[in-house]
Amino acid sequence: MIRIAAVGDVHMDRDVLGRFRPALEHLPHHADVLLLAGDLTRHGTEAEARCVATEFGGLPVPVVTVLGNHDHHADEVPRLTATLEAAGITVLEGTSVVLDTPGGRLGVAGVKGFGGGFAGRCASEFGEPEMKDFIRTTMATADRLAAALQGLECDVRVALTHYSPVAETLAGEPLEIYPFLGSYLLAEAIDSAPTALAIHGHAHRGSERGTTPGGVRVRNVAHPVIKHAYSVFHLNGED
Amino acid sequence: MSHDPPQVDEYVEAAVQRLLTEESDLAEQGIAMIRRKDMLVLSGEVESHRRRDEIVRRVRQAFPDIPLLADIGVTRVDEPSEAEELG
Repeated sequence: MIRIAAVGDVHMDRDVLGRFRPALEHLPHHADVLLLAGDLTRHGTEAEARCVATEFGGLPVPVVTVLGNHDHHADEVPRLTATLEAAGITVLEGTSVVLDTPGGRLGVAGVKGFGGGFAGRCASEFGEPEMKDFIRTTMATADRLAAALQGLECDVRVALTHYSPVAETLAGEPLEIYPFLGSYLLAEAIDSAPTALAIHGHAHRGSERGTTPGGVRVRNVAHPVIKHAYSVFHLNGED
Repeated sequence: MSHDPPQVDEYVEAAVQRLLTEESDLAEQGIAMIRRKDMLVLSGEVESHRRRDEIVRRVRQAFPDIPLLADIGVTRVDEPSEAEELG
């Protein structure tokens, strides 16, 4: 069995320092790895990244993350990423990592993802350049996720994104903003490989559980949704 | 002369939502606004008491005539009580 802890949207800054630590101290009792589903910071500054490094760095289990939209706001992504990596946190963006756990080899592929909406009610690559750029960004990130998932050699595959691949885990959010919360193209990427679980955040008022059209379990682990320090998922260590 | 409370209309709702997101001291996208008859209710969760207090302070500062009810909690950080078995 592979044990996965996950949380997203922790929005760290100095005022949050230390809040998660008591629960994180016991993390090895619960999980073999901690996945962070983006929006680690409020504005994506290097100073906030240092708070993330202090709170989630130096843990006795590997920590793997993607970035979220908040983490891009200050346009300091390279410095933010470097700060996280220096603290031992693996940052994925169109990339993957394989971790040896007592339950088997866990492969995690991650992208931030982007919006666009869901089947039948989504943005299209048509019209103004700005509109085409919007959906092309999503298409490109979905392609990177598909390639990263397909390239993994492991016992269990997990997809890690910030934006949602399905509408089900957005239930509770206003329908009007679904296109800003995720895209079915991410689900299509997840379904292109034998993925065991898809983890995302971003939708603070969404719901915990959903599935992709291909039957992959999806979990929204945004902190305000799960309402504890992290969720824990147990997966069998065989494909 | 009438002293009816100011109407909380759609433009106020839109302005408050943008303030919550775009003010650099706030940067909150997860707060819902509910327009009641004579007041605006802010509902959601944030990561610290300080952030909740700052949201209330900034919205009251920007819209001093709008009666405000802040129904904002601070998200708990307890350990999970059980794991989900996904097989």
